[in-house]
Amino acid sequence: MGVRVCLPVYLECNLKQRMKLNLFEDKNCKEEHVDVYFTNMRPVIRQIMDSVNSERPSFSGRPADEDLDDFEETILDPDDIYYLDFVDRKLFAYTKTGVFRLMNTLASCEEMLWNYGFVRVSKSNLINIYKIKQLRPDLNMKVYASFDNGERICINRSYKKTFNEYLKVMMRQTV
Amino acid sequence: MKKYLKTLLMYVCISYTMVSVSGAVVNIITGTKTSNSNTLIMFGLCVIASFVLSLNKIFDEFSPLLMIVLQYAVVMALCAGFLFLLSLIDPISPKGWIEYFRSITVPYIVIAGIYYYCLYDEAKKQDRIIKDIQNGKK
Repeated sequence: MGVRVCLPVYLECNLKQRMKLNLFEDKNCKEEHVDVYFTNMRPVIRQIMDSVNSERPSFSGRPADEDLDDFEETILDPDDIYYLDFVDRKLFAYTKTGVFRLMNTLASCEEMLWNYGFVRVSKSNLINIYKIKQLRPDLNMKVYASFDNGERICINRSYKKTFNEYLKVMMRQTV
Repeated sequence: MKKYLKTLLMYVCISYTMVSVSGAVVNIITGTKTSNSNTLIMFGLCVIASFVLSLNKIFDEFSPLLMIVLQYAVVMALCAGFLFLLSLIDPISPKGWIEYFRSITVPYIVIAGIYYYCLYDEAKKQDRIIKDIQNGKK
């Protein structure tokens, strides 16, 4: 008879909402598996699926302000990234700890990070809606998303429709 | 191109209906009368204004405020040119030019104000949705 240890843990995702996590230790288990009970297939469930399938995207970045060859790569989790900025054919990830240069393309990041709250707001920016502190129009009537790190990103008028649709989908899925 | 022309025609129809209905209401209240040439000029001005406003994609890189100012300047210049051509056939009095300036500027400022209010309101709604998503509740 195997040992069955139940460890109730609260899994904290990038949502403030908490999810109960039960861990069972079974020495006789032939095939390790994960069962997920959910009310609807929302982004956080897809993120768990990605983690279980080892498909959770992570990015390796080098500090943007240093010579690329001199510094070690840092692994960045999507939850750590405020926004991505594509400047001079280079992609940069802005995090709390600094700016990192990524070797991916903005389009591939957009595809990979859809379930992680990332939405395109201009030709060169992909923002993480979970990191937005405030969204408000400026005096010049441009709408800006402000982040915890004090940076602001403009939401381009051409991407307004996509942005609105993304928020609606995320809202529907985040029940 | 076909889609653009369809949209432009829709803008012209909407703006002309709004302008002529408002004009009719003002005429009833003030007891003034309008002539056939005024009605046609009004239509011409609506076509010019709708055309310039439909080019908003060109001004996409600018801020909305700058876009409004630039579009206003272009509309004023084109309408002035249109009226100047008409004045060669039927001269326009100085008062007529002031009226022209007023009848374009006033609706333009009102519409710009409405636009800003809608923008502010929409941003507020989006901000609320983002907060709800962040808190994981509907």
